[in-house]
Amino acid sequence: MVDRNESDRLASESWLQRTVRKPEIGSFIVMVVIIIALFIASDWKAFNALGLKNNVAIIAQFGIIATGAAILMIAGEFDLSIGSMIGFAGMSMAMMLKWGLPFGMGEATPFAAFIITLAMTLSIGWFIGFVVVRSGLSSFIVTLAFLFLMRGVTEVSFRLINQSTQISGLPDYKENSWFANILGGEVFGWFYDAWYKLGQWLTAGTEWPARLPNESINYLALLNINRRLEQWVEGFDARFMWWLVISAVAWFIMSRTQLGNWIYATGDNKEAARANGVPVNAVKIGLFMFTAFCATMFAACQVFDTNTSDAAKGNLMELFAIAIAVVGGTLMTGGFGSILGVVFGAITVGLVSNAVFFIPSIDGAWFRVFLGGILLAAVFANERIRKRITGGI
Amino acid sequence: MAEPYMRVKGLEKKFGPFTALGGVDLEVHAGEVHALLGDNGAGKSTLIKILAGVHQPTAGQIYIEGKPANFRTPRDASAAGIGTVYQDLALNQLMSVTRNFFMGRELKNAFGMLKMNEMDKIAHDEMLKIGIDFSDPTQAVGTMSGGQRQTLAIARAIYFGAKVLILDEPTSALGQKQQMGVLKTIQKVRKRGDIGIIFITHNEIHSRLIADRFTFLALGKVIGEGTQETLDHNEIRRLMAGGAEMADLEQELASV
Repeated sequence: MVDRNESDRLASESWLQRTVRKPEIGSFIVMVVIIIALFIASDWKAFNALGLKNNVAIIAQFGIIATGAAILMIAGEFDLSIGSMIGFAGMSMAMMLKWGLPFGMGEATPFAAFIITLAMTLSIGWFIGFVVVRSGLSSFIVTLAFLFLMRGVTEVSFRLINQSTQISGLPDYKENSWFANILGGEVFGWFYDAWYKLGQWLTAGTEWPARLPNESINYLALLNINRRLEQWVEGFDARFMWWLVISAVAWFIMSRTQLGNWIYATGDNKEAARANGVPVNAVKIGLFMFTAFCATMFAACQVFDTNTSDAAKGNLMELFAIAIAVVGGTLMTGGFGSILGVVFGAITVGLVSNAVFFIPSIDGAWFRVFLGGILLAAVFANERIRKRITGGI
Repeated sequence: MAEPYMRVKGLEKKFGPFTALGGVDLEVHAGEVHALLGDNGAGKSTLIKILAGVHQPTAGQIYIEGKPANFRTPRDASAAGIGTVYQDLALNQLMSVTRNFFMGRELKNAFGMLKMNEMDKIAHDEMLKIGIDFSDPTQAVGTMSGGQRQTLAIARAIYFGAKVLILDEPTSALGQKQQMGVLKTIQKVRKRGDIGIIFITHNEIHSRLIADRFTFLALGKVIGEGTQETLDHNEIRRLMAGGAEMADLEQELASV
């Protein structure tokens, strides 16, 4: 038995065992349960043509910022300034659109407003990262400072320049600007077109929707047909596309590239990563800029969709982003997490937060009870995963 | 005697008023294990940090193959063929064997994507060469034993071109059997003949088992050196204790 070595003691696992042990499996199961429950409880309303659009809109919002928060958390840091960054970016864009570019540079186009805002938010993100890595202070406290700071700056700027903390009634830029349209317009119209075609085909020459037994279900709405028998919904909000793009790029980077390897290593064991030549500080600063980017995308989609802005926009969003990241299987201590899990987490939390619109009989505050519950469960589940990997179990 | 791969002459390091190293000489030959022994605070850590490019010496010179070398960063040292395996091994527990093996030096294709299959294979083969057959390179390092981690760190240093391998107390904090495993690994590396090893240890038995050459440090200075042939058991013990005579100690203890 001389040749027996330690690796022999590690039983090789079956496909099923490996799947069950994946970090995103928990959030996947919760998501499936929620989808089924919502289907039934809302009499299918949550997933009819308009319900799906509305749900996807909120899921995409959560998903965009949760992706940023999750990757930063994998690298071992927090960003509590995401919500205030959303408010700041929205204010900045709306104000430029209403009052013109700063320093008398003339009228703002949507593109100019976006780029100048992005330059500012990325600079702030860089600065936050710089302060965190240089001071060695906890990012929790540094970004908490920026949470207050930027919310305050947003309100003060609103009052000074605009005399009110809201901007509404901006022209609908989507109609003339392709740029505003890709942020605030509609996407994947083919999906709803096909849905409508399918609906037409199913209802052609029949009167069956009217004769169906279950009165509470609006079968025409399920087939993307309105009361005048026209196409009801034209497309998803553009933020759906941005969420897919950001998630796909994030997934690719985290699982397939050197940068992803460095991000995991930075959050896992910073000193080990540094000893192996990983530019730990640059990775962290870059990720603070990435969360700022995600917050800016969130704000831009909102501003160009609704043509309004408000100093309170994005309030509490940093906490939702962190909660979704954790529900998706990201470790609070860094070094471990899954973009796919964050996608599942965003779908779960988005659906539940929106559920009250489809099930009017429930109290909307149940959303927070639910979120608190799964957050707690997720923290325990994640801790178990961490212990298993580090040999604790 | 051939020119050693690495020669250190009169190396000094001061941290403000504190002299951590007060002129240390050291030679490392390819295919030899050079044991570096000394008590806590003797300056071993400072010495290896200078050799690894983490600290810069206040005075003195490092020569690589007879040519003066200055290491400003750990990257310089590693480019000159100095591979350091720290006590904490610089491993990321939550990450896979392969990802750790290639940390900071990942293989990428033209599109910047990681060549995961190729890296898995290399990590597996390199670890097999010096001792362990690792069936699953996607396994997280956190699930490995201390000895396996040590092997991983050593295999990594060798694969990335270490000509001098610095092992910082590789056998401490390991069980008896794993210690033997690490010594076997060191022996395998030594047998290759092209790599010199600096073996830092507190354990006299381990150093006697495997080292060709010995250097003893105490309070930042070399207090003794020799080879396997010239040093006997008692002398090694005496020097490890910082030069104190065992007999003196016995007397002192008796008088307490």
